[in-house]
Amino acid sequence: MSRFSLYEDEIRPSPWQHTWREFKSSHVALVGLAILLLFVFFAFFAPLVTPYDPLFQNTESILVAPSWHPNGSITHLFGTDALGRDLFSRIMYGCRVTFGTSLLVVIIAMAVGVSIGTIAGMLSGVRSSVVNHLLDALMAIPTLLIAIIIVGILGSGLVNSMWAITLALIPQFIHHTRTFVRAEMKKDYIQASTLDGANRLQIFYYSILPNMIEMLVVQGTLALSIAVIDISALGFLNLGAQPPLPELGAILAAGLDVGYLSPWNIAIPGIAIFLMVLSITVVGDGLRSALRKRVNR
Amino acid sequence: MINILLRYTILFVLTLLALSALSFTLIYLFPAEPIINLTGITPQNSIQHDALVRQYRLDSAYLIQFWHYLEQLFSGNWGYSLISGQPLKEEVLTALPATVELSTYAMMIVILVGIPIGCYSGLRAYTNADFTINSLSVTVYSVPVFWLAVLFILTFSLQFGWLPLSGRLNLLFDIPSQTGFLFIDILLADDVDTSLAMRDAFLHLILPTLSIACISTAAIIRITRRSIIDVLNKPYITAAKARGLSNRQIFFRHVLRNALLPILPLMAMQITTLITNAMIVETLFSWPGIGNWLIQAIYQRDYSALRIGMLAVSTLVVIITISIDLFNRLIDPSREKFESVTI
Repeated sequence: MSRFSLYEDEIRPSPWQHTWREFKSSHVALVGLAILLLFVFFAFFAPLVTPYDPLFQNTESILVAPSWHPNGSITHLFGTDALGRDLFSRIMYGCRVTFGTSLLVVIIAMAVGVSIGTIAGMLSGVRSSVVNHLLDALMAIPTLLIAIIIVGILGSGLVNSMWAITLALIPQFIHHTRTFVRAEMKKDYIQASTLDGANRLQIFYYSILPNMIEMLVVQGTLALSIAVIDISALGFLNLGAQPPLPELGAILAAGLDVGYLSPWNIAIPGIAIFLMVLSITVVGDGLRSALRKRVNR
Repeated sequence: MINILLRYTILFVLTLLALSALSFTLIYLFPAEPIINLTGITPQNSIQHDALVRQYRLDSAYLIQFWHYLEQLFSGNWGYSLISGQPLKEEVLTALPATVELSTYAMMIVILVGIPIGCYSGLRAYTNADFTINSLSVTVYSVPVFWLAVLFILTFSLQFGWLPLSGRLNLLFDIPSQTGFLFIDILLADDVDTSLAMRDAFLHLILPTLSIACISTAAIIRITRRSIIDVLNKPYITAAKARGLSNRQIFFRHVLRNALLPILPLMAMQITTLITNAMIVETLFSWPGIGNWLIQAIYQRDYSALRIGMLAVSTLVVIITISIDLFNRLIDPSREKFESVTI
């Protein structure tokens, strides 16, 4: 063989492949990933697979029981709500709204949080102290409070609740990025880049960011589960998504009015939120332990 | 020591200043007129309007307005509620203790249940017992709090009728509010059957406390477990084993203390979650706390109440967080300031 190779192995798996191998070895995490992918599928393709229009009110069939119930029929898989809307279609669209907005919120919060966190981590002296301490203290303000204030200023609505949750998530990303950047800046490879004449932007882009992505993914899953719960909580309290819009929390709140007559209107949206958060948490946990195993090996 | 205290005092004052500046800005950000947002009084005519503006210095420069606003806050004149017309200070001071009471009991459950189970799970790491506890806590952690509370109401209040549905106390008891903390008020109250009232208050407390505590307990179990596992892998534990200490000695002398230290700051973060959950649960159980009060205020667009409520809740949370942080720094000076641990 004329090929020159520094390593004896034919194939060298990249760090991501290593992580995937470790992740695959946990069956629970794989099941979680499958459920999560199902929700992602709903988020993208809900209009193609739903049997009914989620807003169509069929007054002929109000509060039809779900299909496994003796009184239910297969035409409405999960039954219908108080206005005769098909619950199955509403849940699918609800996953689209809740999951989609949460994903968007997390991406925005991550982008803003990482940029501010990096600046805060590279700063030093009094300036950094003031920025960091103030941020830490402001991180303690509950999400619901921020949401209430924003709703007070802008009025209720899904977009306004998204702003509120973005604002509430940003400090966590800042905190973790800052801690990470500060720890990395002390290491030798950063010193080497500095001696090579790299400026701060180059250090961040070429040296710190590649190492940070894994931390960001783990933090992102954590933030995603928080965002799903917060968006549905605001919808539930009628501060976020407004009634006709199928959002899981709002569907649950609407089901509360007829909860005693038709318990499935409470059970099914709740289970949907629960499964969504559970799958995100399980995938996040699996990812975290996979990364830990890879680094420790 | 003095240096640390000084730093935290400065931080505390700065944060409160930032928060009150924020609440001052809200006067101009909320849709209603600034003078209404500030005082909660709707002027009847232009003469009264001008008088109020002059009285609250809204005609001067912003900095002077802010200074005056701070003076008013400190002298206890927080304005009036737009809807009920009551002084906001009284309303907040009766609602806040109810929330503090609820959160304290929930936090007690979280600590008393979460940490021992977390320790057990961490010590038995990667066994069947640990696996069961861990998967249970992941499951409970993922349950949305409002759904859990609704399920509790449906099961225990409506289906079985074991526990009361809403409020803090049966309306038959007439307990004058003195401290705002119900159990103390019952003890202080005259001509009330104390044991009956206590029992009733306790029954009212069970469901809301449990629905708040469940989720935070699950979080604390996971955090504690991780921390214990991390400590067990440290070389000084191996050294202690080599010295021939028994498992019990190793656990109480070395593992527990070192594992609990990094948990403290995370506990502070859990308090924020806990208070958010308490605010949501309060509305479901009609608990007369600050969360219920704030959410009623936003439904009715009571802007002056929102401004003060935001300031009160965030001040409370900031005080708790900063004091836990300070406590943590004092008992563990060797630690780097912003060290974080994972779940």
